[in-house]
Amino acid sequence: MTIREKGYFHWEGPLRERRFAWWPITRLGLRLAFKKKGFKFLYFGSFIPALVFLVGIYISERIGEFRYMIRGSSQLLEVNPAFFKTYYTSDFLLFMMVMLMVVGGAGLVADDLRHNALQLYFSRPLEKRDYLAGKASVLVALLLSLTLLPGLAFIIFKLLFSGSFRFIADYPWILLSVAAYSAAVTAFFCLYTLLLSSLSRNRRYVSILLFAVYLVSDILFGIFYGNFKNPAFALLSLKANLQQAGAFLFRQKLPYDIPAGWSILILAAVGAAAWLVVNKRVRSVEVVK
Amino acid sequence: MIIEVKDLHFSYGPIMAIDGVSLSLDEGAVGLLGPNGAGKSTLLRVLLGFLRPQRGEGRVFGRDIRFEQRLIRRQVGYMPEDDCLIPGMDAVSFTSFFGELSGMPRQEAMKRAHDVLFYVGLGESRYRLLETYSAGMKQRLKLAQAIVHDPRLLFLDEPTSNLDPQGRKEVLDLILDISSKKDISVLICSHILSDIEAVCSDVVILNKGRLAAHGKIGELRRLDFRLYELKVKGDEQRLIDRIGRLGWPVEATEEGLLRVYVPPQGEILNIFRAADEEGLQVRHFVRSQTSLEDLFARAVGVD
Repeated sequence: MTIREKGYFHWEGPLRERRFAWWPITRLGLRLAFKKKGFKFLYFGSFIPALVFLVGIYISERIGEFRYMIRGSSQLLEVNPAFFKTYYTSDFLLFMMVMLMVVGGAGLVADDLRHNALQLYFSRPLEKRDYLAGKASVLVALLLSLTLLPGLAFIIFKLLFSGSFRFIADYPWILLSVAAYSAAVTAFFCLYTLLLSSLSRNRRYVSILLFAVYLVSDILFGIFYGNFKNPAFALLSLKANLQQAGAFLFRQKLPYDIPAGWSILILAAVGAAAWLVVNKRVRSVEVVK
Repeated sequence: MIIEVKDLHFSYGPIMAIDGVSLSLDEGAVGLLGPNGAGKSTLLRVLLGFLRPQRGEGRVFGRDIRFEQRLIRRQVGYMPEDDCLIPGMDAVSFTSFFGELSGMPRQEAMKRAHDVLFYVGLGESRYRLLETYSAGMKQRLKLAQAIVHDPRLLFLDEPTSNLDPQGRKEVLDLILDISSKKDISVLICSHILSDIEAVCSDVVILNKGRLAAHGKIGELRRLDFRLYELKVKGDEQRLIDRIGRLGWPVEATEEGLLRVYVPPQGEILNIFRAADEEGLQVRHFVRSQTSLEDLFARAVGVD
């Protein structure tokens, strides 16, 4: 291999101070995630519930034409906060979010740790907060597209199909609930993924952990609840806590007979602990050897 | 001065990695030498702002290393010792990504990435996945990402490690070209003395976190000591002990030679007097050309 096939030239342009120094990291993270065929399949598959619910909104507005199909179950197609809560807290959607994190988020920090890339990032005019913001934004973009985007689409299509603002007049807080739940579930999964991704240098272990912690917490809840019939064991399950929070934010009956505040507190505590650990891991592992 | 540090201290818990280092470095190629654990890499990391010194102060291009790291890193390129990559990327997108992070516009970073990859000899393989690169190619890639934003100063941490002789020569040629013709100052941290000797005019030697020697290689050779090689008939250990009492370091080589480091004010006749008093015959006596190894050995202690 010969060297200097082309000479070295000085670059005359200015180096700019970026307002959003984290943006190239986010763009790269999304590009690398969508390079994987499995990820694309999962991501677009995650929109199936949203499409089904959109069709539901359409049918609810043309209920007369579809009466033969729904046979007395028209209350299921009533678009109200319960409809939103059903979408947001469905097992399938939450499972797909976890799977997206497994395939697209597990390597975000773990790969940088494994391949010693952190020191390259930090040898640039970049702070740790920029790095973390860049990585977190990859997950935020993916998760908000599955939560906030469909929620807004439901509201807009409801208004379009009904041709009136009655829905907003009846539930003026629904937009806030959609935004709050989307933000909460996004923040939780984002911190949860970054935490586990920063704990290991091996993305496979991280993938297994992401999936296992979510699943095992729910299995534990099932076992304890089955034996002791105490709903407080729902606090052990990440899924149950997210469903509690969802029901609370959409002003629906709570699925488990425990205060929603406890569930929200558990989710917040997990998020805060995750933030502390991520902050420490990203600082100490690579930079200080 | 591009780098100035005063009374710099840094410790990893109870282990003192840098212990009161003060130095000033001018433009050009400077070698940072020292045995393992001497504090070389730590000094680079402190200068880059990765680690905050517990005491002392430092400036790179007049910027304070404690408070103006971002401004320093904009003008500095860093080639770490370890293999570094982002899996799933090719060399062009990898190099342009780091150019962009340094503040280059996206399009410009992409153009520049092509140029520097050709310059370091990765032009033909710039679209290959980085995971498929050999050790030598990874070294070149690290150099490419370090120079993509056209820094004024390059920190190179063991740039020739894991390379075969040919690859080592090519990387050294590149570094020499960068430092001598491209107006980019280079601080090379290495324990391969011949690499430093091939590229650098100045050298900084660290030992146990302290500054052991600093200056132009030629001047250090001239001023610090004179090296003489001699062969004696008889028990050479007696002569070693005798000269050692004068405070002059002596080492015995495998070829049966004694190497005596005579300080500038030292009188070489003392060697002959000592041999005479010990009843030894001096059979061979010659002034040796000091190599960087000698300088290094003298600075960190020949024991």
